This record gives sequence, C-alpha cells and structure tokens, in this order.
Amino acid sequence: MGFLRLVVKRWLVSDVQICIILFLMPTMKLQGGYNINIQGRPGPTIKKMPEPEILYLRQKSRRFHFTKLRVEDGRSISCGQPLAVDPENYNVPLLAPRTGTVRLNQLDGHIVLEDIQPLEKETAVFKQPEHISIHPGHLSLKHKLLFDLGAWQFFSDAFTGSLPDPMGNPQAVIISTLSLEPFLARGDIQLDEKLLNFTRGLEQLQSLLEYQPMYLIMPKIDTELATKVHEHIRGYAWVEMIEIPLRYPFDNFTILARYLGLKPGKGPVWSLRAEGIIAVDSALTMHKPCIQKIISIGGPAVLKPAHFEVCAGYPLDDLLKGLIADEPVRILDGGVMTGEIIGDNDYGLDTECNGLTVLREHRQREFLAFLRPGFDRRSYSSCFLSTFRKAFPERLNTALRGELRPCISCNYCEEVCPAGIMPHLIHKYLYADLLDEAEDARIDLCIECGLCSFVCPSKIDLKREFVEAKRVIQEEKEEILKEQRQQEELQRTIKGEQAKDIIE
Amino acid sequence: MKSLFKLFERAKPLFEDGGRFRPFKPVFDALENFFFGPATTTTAAPHIRDPLDVKRFMSMVIVALIPVLLASFYFFGLRLITMLVVSYAVGGAVEVLFAVIRKEEINEGFLVTGMLFPLILPPTLPLWMVAIGVAFGVFVGKELFGGTGRNIFNPALVGRCFLAIAYPVAMSSNWVTPGSGFTGRLFEYISASDVDALTSATPLVLAKQGTLTELSRLFFGNISGSVGETSSLAVILGGVFLLLTRTANWRTVVSTLGSFALLAAILRVNDPERFAPVLWHLCAGSILFGAFYMTTDPVTSPVTNSGKWLYGMIIGFATVLIRNFTGYVEGVMFAILLGNIFAPVLDEIIFKLRLRRLALEE
Repeated sequence: MGFLRLVVKRWLVSDVQICIILFLMPTMKLQGGYNINIQGRPGPTIKKMPEPEILYLRQKSRRFHFTKLRVEDGRSISCGQPLAVDPENYNVPLLAPRTGTVRLNQLDGHIVLEDIQPLEKETAVFKQPEHISIHPGHLSLKHKLLFDLGAWQFFSDAFTGSLPDPMGNPQAVIISTLSLEPFLARGDIQLDEKLLNFTRGLEQLQSLLEYQPMYLIMPKIDTELATKVHEHIRGYAWVEMIEIPLRYPFDNFTILARYLGLKPGKGPVWSLRAEGIIAVDSALTMHKPCIQKIISIGGPAVLKPAHFEVCAGYPLDDLLKGLIADEPVRILDGGVMTGEIIGDNDYGLDTECNGLTVLREHRQREFLAFLRPGFDRRSYSSCFLSTFRKAFPERLNTALRGELRPCISCNYCEEVCPAGIMPHLIHKYLYADLLDEAEDARIDLCIECGLCSFVCPSKIDLKREFVEAKRVIQEEKEEILKEQRQQEELQRTIKGEQAKDIIE
Repeated sequence: MKSLFKLFERAKPLFEDGGRFRPFKPVFDALENFFFGPATTTTAAPHIRDPLDVKRFMSMVIVALIPVLLASFYFFGLRLITMLVVSYAVGGAVEVLFAVIRKEEINEGFLVTGMLFPLILPPTLPLWMVAIGVAFGVFVGKELFGGTGRNIFNPALVGRCFLAIAYPVAMSSNWVTPGSGFTGRLFEYISASDVDALTSATPLVLAKQGTLTELSRLFFGNISGSVGETSSLAVILGGVFLLLTRTANWRTVVSTLGSFALLAAILRVNDPERFAPVLWHLCAGSILFGAFYMTTDPVTSPVTNSGKWLYGMIIGFATVLIRNFTGYVEGVMFAILLGNIFAPVLDEIIFKLRLRRLALEE
C-alpha cells in the first residue's frame, strides 16, 4: 500500500514517470509481522543526564570488539580521541566521550575514564581532532572524517548487518526513521529537534555517492513530523521516500532491502537510522566527534519511561537509579525481541546501545493460568477475551507462559514470519539433524526478529535454533573453503616439485 | 489455593532425582502445571512470549464442544457421562503409562481425544468397548508415532475405526431414539438393555431404504445417530467458536464442506431420484462434526494453507463417494483417515513448490 500511495503521488507529476516506476516497482510484498504492545513505551521528552564523574567504556558491543588499545594506562586523553580500535572491523575507533584519565586494568572488559572534564560545547564544536590526517589515495577527506569522528559505526550493511567497508561503494543507501521494536530510541523524537541537521546530513551523505539511490523509509501515517520531513526534502530528487506500515519488524534493513529489490551480490547496501544521519551531519558539517547519543529507557518495570541524552560509557547504575521498580528485573541492551541481557559484569553503556528495556522477572505462578478468560492478556491468536478489546499495552514479564511441547503444526510461525520462510519446516529439519535440507529451506533468509519464538504455542525457541544452525552451516562452509585452499596449495607444491624434477 | 501450592512444594522432593516416586515425575509435573502456570522463564531474546500455550489451545476445543455435549445430554441421556469417564480414564492411563516409560511430559492432546472419542460412538455402546477403542486409538494412533505432534492419524478416529471393524454390529445397529419435550432424556440413562428406546436405523440408513428424514429434524438433532453428531445446530455453534478463536483453520472447514456440497450437488442435479439434496446431506451424519472438529486437528492436517485446501477437497469428495456408492452409509471417518494419509504428501508437494520459489530469491 505504501507503494500505491507513492504511485498515486507520482501520478500527479507525470504519467510517463509512473510507467517507468510501475516497471521498476519491486515486487516483494511485506508480509507477516506483528506488533507487540507492551507497557512502558518511552515518552517523547528527552532528558539530559548530568555530566558523568566516571565512564565505563565496554570494549565489546554487539558488532564490535575494541581489542587494539590506542592509549596507555594513566594517560589523559581528550574528548573525541580514539581509546581503542576494532581490528576485525576496519579499525573502527572507540572514541573517548570526554576528556579524562585512562585506567585500563580496573575492570575486566572495560576501559575506565576518570577525572572527567565536563563537555564544553564551544571548544568541542570547532576544534578539529588532531589524529585526523589525510593520506591521498586512501580515503577521501569526507570518508576519513566520517570514520575518525565516530559516525561510521552507525552504518551497517543491510544484508549482513555488519560494518560496511569504508572504502567500498554501496549499491544503495537505506535510511530508516523508524524503530518499531519495543523499545528502542524513536527516530521521530530525535528528528523533532534536529530536523535541519537531518536534512543537512542527507545532503552530506549524498555527496559521498555517485549515482546510487537513497531510500528514506517513513511511517505510513500522517503526523506533523512526517509532513515536515516531506516538506523539507521535497526538492531532493535523489531521495526516494517509501512508506511502510508500522508493524514490527518492517524497519529491519534486510527486509527493506529485499522489499526494494536489492540483491546481496551487487555490493553492500548502506543502512542507517535517524541518529546515523545526524551523526553524519555532525562529522561532516561541524567536524565534531559523535559522542552524545539519545537512548530510550522503557519497559514494564521502568517507572517513568523516557528518552535520555547520554554518552557511551555512562555508568548504568547512575543511569537507572530511581528509574526501576524495586523488584527482581532483567535489564536488556536493546529491545525485548532482540536485546541482550546486561549481566553483572557490565558497568557502562556500550557504544552501540540505543535503548535499554527493563522487564520484571517472572515469579508469581498463577492458579489455573490456562483457564483464565484472559481479558488482560493480548495474544497473536484469538483464544483470549482480550480479542474484544482495543489494543492495550500489556504488562509482560520474562515468563515463558507455557511448557515445552512438540510442534503441533499450527502454522502461526509461518504467518508471522516477515522473511517468507517456513520456520516449522526448518525446525523439523533441524530436529532431525538435516542441515542441508534446512539450508535448502532458506534458513539464511531468517532475519532473527524472534517473532516465531514469540508466537509459538509449544514454546519452541525457534530463533535460537536457527541462529545456532546458521552458525554451524557457516562454520562448515568455512571448513570446506579451507580444505579446498589446502588442496590447491598441495596441488601447487606437487606441480612445483614435478617441475623441479623435470628440470633436474 | 495457597495450601494447594504448599502441598505441591512439599511433595516435590519425592518426585525429584533420588525421590521415592521419581518415575512418576511426569504425572506430578502435569498436575502441578495444570494448577499453577509454569515457573519457567525465557533465557534469551525474545524475552517475552505470547500467552497462548498448548494447554490453552487444546482447552479451546473442549470449550467448543460444550454445545455439542449439552445437545447430546438432552437427546441421549446421562450415559454419556459414564462413557466420558471411561474414555478419559483409559485414554489418560495409556498416555501416563507412555509418559512414564519414555520419561517425557504428559501431553494435553489426550484431553481432546478423550472428549471427542465418546462423541463419535453410538450412545449405547458397551463401556468395555469404549475402553478398548480409546486405548487402541491412543496407543496405535498416537503413542506409537511418538505422541502428540508426531501422529499421522487422528487418534479418536483410529479408535473408532478399530471398533467399527472389530464390532460391526454393536457399532451400527443399536441407536437411541432421541429425547423430546422440555427435559428430553436429561434425567435418563439409556443402555443397550432399554429396548423401548432403541432403534436400528439412522437417517442415512433410512435414506438408503428410500425415506428421507425432514431437514429441520436433522438440523436440530432429534434423530438417532452417534452421540455428538446429530445436532447440526450445536456443531455449527461450537465450530464457529473454533474458527473465531483461530484454533481451527477456516480453510480446511470451507474446503471440506465446499467440496462435499459441490459433489453432492452434481450428483443431485444428475439424478434427483436417487440422490438426496445437498443441504440434507450436509446436515445428516457426521460431516459437519468431522469438518469442524476432526479435519481441523492441526497435527494431522497439512501445515501449509494450500495443502489444507487440497486436504479438505480429498475429504469432502471421498465422503460423498463413500456415502453414495459403497455399502457404507456414512463415510466421514474413512474419508478423514484417508485425508490424514495424504496430508504429509500434500505438505511435501507444497514445500517443494515453495522452496523452489524461495530458491529463486537471492
């Protein structure tokens, strides 16, 4: 339907264009998806956290592992300088969010920054960090700025989810203003204040490209902000606006890229969220390191869910103090569907975090739970009285809400799957250890959104099975590749020896 | 409630490793999780889960059977209670036995099988036959395949099929004339010895002999027949509930009834003298009961939606053919079992087609 509206809009422009669009229209239909309505949606206010006294910068985040240190213990470092880099990911830097003294051995897996100087806006804006120098022939200045000022880590490849090569050329760029998973920092809230930065960031990003298309993903609703964005970029012929229904996980970049008809073989698809574009603007227009970020703190166990302006490394205890109900909770880095549990050994906000979700731990066991009419529980199925109710935010906790059972072939997982695969079939293959068949059933198309695990009445953890199987398949493939290389090597040496023999 | 919980907590160590009743842990777990929602939590993303579980899913079928049960009590009396008790006791015992031997959990599937089974039997069937039938159905139809979720055939139908072949006379001649008036047979207990209340023919038998029962009687259910099948009204009420809760898939039902009606209509148009009208056929016998409660069993029907359409067609067509062209007067049971055989094959074909389409996608 999003396309339909797009088409109608274009119709007004010219019908020659529409013929072209109809021809080029990606045929992939958005399917599946489901909105989980859970209590604790962060409000639209952005609270600025007080300046931290100490920072715990985690060396490991979702994609990165900053193992190569760039600083020594006890040295002072100024704001925006790299503390460490990730050698596995093109040496992407972990920037010091504030000026302070480095302590390396205080906490395992963290770089601690002490004696923090409060952020002085004026100086930070125009002072060009010293470590930026231009090597001709390598990266252009703009690429270099993006990379060194910490904006590059907001980029990801739509198909692999990993960091794209900064030197590479994308086949397309997808920019999403949406965060549909409960709960991540919402794009509209970040845009509300920084719409100018956003449009300027879009221009900056465009200047990095040659001819590749840029897609801007917008919600399929008319809000004041949406109209404003529309107005702002009306003149930008190089940005194609695409509207999608507000349903999880339609903001997933892999799904969007497939929907847009992009192919993984034709090069990376740079994908960014709203904060990424603002970071691009900050790096390229103001030459300012991207150190401040907006995160959401939400979930049923949060007393006043809201957005917060913080920096990486902000102590979690200080951040959550007074925010969480006083009972056993589970703190997640990310949303409820894909977030990871923050353990006791994590002290600070990691650099990629864009939301914390807090859930109550399941303790209370309900009497005759399965017989309850269920006016207060919302379900994908219609087996509860809440079917007659309008959508309402539910107070969910970490309960599994049922016992593990064999698959009863209810087909819910397939209905809800946004990737168009058959989770129940892959489950049956994996249950029988048939990895090749699972591969033929396109387990690789799984985007790990977790919806199949969520709806399964037999409480089978399909997502975990798939992640594990994908890992094994990947390892096997690498093994085969390695063997092939060894074989080739062997052949070459044999041939070499034969040649030597002949010569002798 | 609290004292019950404490009782469970106190008894728990007896069923843990090293406890005296360790082999009966499945029974204890089943009871505990029946009364109290399970204590398990998620361990990784997604951290929250949908409230629907298999218990709820299966109890929806039981709720949907309430109108059928009420109609059955009204028309055929209280003997149904003893049949239900026997069916649940014997079926449950087989299920528990296998859970203990296999050291697996007790599955909720037998709650549905135990209730469906008496509803598809003649109301005066000796109780020992009910026991043998349900034991055979659960044992051969389900446990041998590995339990709920892995069975190919509907266990209740396997049990009935066994009885129909082993005791053909008891299964086809002793019907009860339905109750009427304000209370019906609500306070009566009719067994095979009450000769006054017995009749030897159901509407389908009578139809073969040339007399058509009125459609309104078929619709409300004051006819003789298997316990639960007679009242089309009650079956439709419960069936619609199943469809609305999405416990049953509408595709299977529409396809089964649609193809049944289509073939019946074709026959009727060709030879109105010989074949009964479509609506009459729909309300007679157990086609409605089978379509709503038996074909829609998610485990034994195809998973894929296209598979469900084909599956329904096989059952619908087969029922009409068996009813009209064989020595049997009713064909629903055989048709559904036939459909069960086809279900995995249909799925396999649809999987192949869909995987071929998926393979084209980069």
